[in-house]
Amino acid sequence: MRRGNRIVLACIYWAFVLYVFVPLILMILMGFKDSKFIGFPIRSWTFDWYTGIFSDAEVLYTFGYSVIIALLSTLISVAVGTWIAVLLESRKFWGRAFTFGLMVLPALVPGIISAIAFRIYARWLEIEPGMGAIIWSHAVHNVPFVTLVVMARLSTMPKSQIEAARDLGADPLIAFLRITLPYLVPAILGASIFCLLLSFDDFVRSFFLGGYEPTLPVLIFAMLRSGMSPEINAISTVALVLTAAIGIWAERYTRNANKGSL
Amino acid sequence: MSTEGSVSNDREGPVKTGDERSFWGRLANWGPYQTLMSFVTISPRRQFFILAAFPILWLLTQHLGPMLQMLRVSLLDAYPVAPDVAQEFSLESYFKFFGDPIFWMPLFRTLIFAAVFTLCTLLITYPIAYFLARHVSRKNQMLLLLILLIPFWVGEIVRTYAIMILLGNTGALNLALKWLGLIDRPIPFMYTSFSMGLGMVYLTALYMLLPLYSALEKLPKSFNEAAADLGAGAWSRFRKITLPLTIEGISSGCTLVFLISTGFYATPVLLGGPSTTVFAETIAGFFHVAGDEWPTGAAFAVIMFIVALLVTGVFQRLMKSLRKGESS
Repeated sequence: MRRGNRIVLACIYWAFVLYVFVPLILMILMGFKDSKFIGFPIRSWTFDWYTGIFSDAEVLYTFGYSVIIALLSTLISVAVGTWIAVLLESRKFWGRAFTFGLMVLPALVPGIISAIAFRIYARWLEIEPGMGAIIWSHAVHNVPFVTLVVMARLSTMPKSQIEAARDLGADPLIAFLRITLPYLVPAILGASIFCLLLSFDDFVRSFFLGGYEPTLPVLIFAMLRSGMSPEINAISTVALVLTAAIGIWAERYTRNANKGSL
Repeated sequence: MSTEGSVSNDREGPVKTGDERSFWGRLANWGPYQTLMSFVTISPRRQFFILAAFPILWLLTQHLGPMLQMLRVSLLDAYPVAPDVAQEFSLESYFKFFGDPIFWMPLFRTLIFAAVFTLCTLLITYPIAYFLARHVSRKNQMLLLLILLIPFWVGEIVRTYAIMILLGNTGALNLALKWLGLIDRPIPFMYTSFSMGLGMVYLTALYMLLPLYSALEKLPKSFNEAAADLGAGAWSRFRKITLPLTIEGISSGCTLVFLISTGFYATPVLLGGPSTTVFAETIAGFFHVAGDEWPTGAAFAVIMFIVALLVTGVFQRLMKSLRKGESS
């Protein structure tokens, strides 16, 4: 009975693995098709689409543009998110539950509503649509993820270390920089990678807050609306390989770091 | 230095911080820094205010601010306005929604789609989470979970495109069905609620899987063993023990997936057709035109947010009462 269950469940698991991998594999394969026409079967293969995008200045520029937006927005999210986490974990205070609720708000607002709200707010603050506006919206949106990860790590930190540092004469700032911050490094790194990927992959905020220069997902979206082409597959595949590789590396890194400290 | 002494629980005399020659030692003994720190640490109260000031300011202006501004704009008669025209309070944008049934359908459709897709996601991922938490050794659990995580790092647009290639008229699915001899002519999967559903479940499955997995993983195996010893069959063990004790995971997973599903914009645009217009597309439409429809768009977004929150609120209440009912 139990054995039978197990086999059925294992089948469901592997069917699900197929469901999540097959579309991506097909998409990658299609990027090597030697024809402008998207569709199966693929009769002859080529690398032309890849050499094409790597010599296309616009695609390369968009790539760099997205990476810079991801890096800068992550920097802001990590600094602000860590600060908020330290506040929320520091002690109980009046309004803490409310503060926590406000903190998670951007993560719970459905995508389109969040994008619209940022667009309206940017207009009010007189931030022009473009790079600055995108960085700002990504930074705000990603703060809750940093705060939650850092809070989880802070809650496992032995209080005795800080107390010892304070007893030895360290002021709160130095104690934080020399004791707390090094302890938080794995959480902060993990959260930064997560923010980088969220920002790099984000469509809806970049779409509504962008100016004339598209980010990579916005570029792919615009190309898709004017018709499918293996060129889009090649661009998507490069983005896919990059994000998946960074994701796997981060997963392994945070796991090892957590193991090492325990 | 004397102020530092007073902070560190009146130790005797001035305390030296670290090595004088090190960076930290030099910083701690640097005059301006000491003045700053003595100002900050004069009382725990002040210290806390200085710690709290920036986060509170950020949360109010950056997290709450955009939502409040959206609410404000939705209550104006025009936005943005010409410099000399006065803005006036108006509920016109809300009347526009409630007065015209043409707008009700997309909202209703969004809610139904989101609810159905959430249920599908739950039904698909529950057995998987159960399998991972119960039937796999600890070491393999992480590996099998990681395999599922990889595709979810890939962006929304790329994965939506992958679904388009799978389902197109010359796509892999139609080719496979043809090859099997099941169909002569390709089935138009694309631009239907089916393609949208497949895409959305694809995009949100992980947000359901992870809460379910952590709920199932926390559940001690002994509960089930005890029930089995007392003669409970597999189905009643599942219904009486596993399900009630994982309701929290189900509830948070469903809430998350529902909220995310209602907010998708690009996926319905790319995978859906004219008969599957969702409310996100309606809202976005008001922002593509030159800007004079912003109050309407804002009002529609507010309506959608409130309705989505109400639905999840009622759902969570329901789940809570269900759990209480089961345990008593």
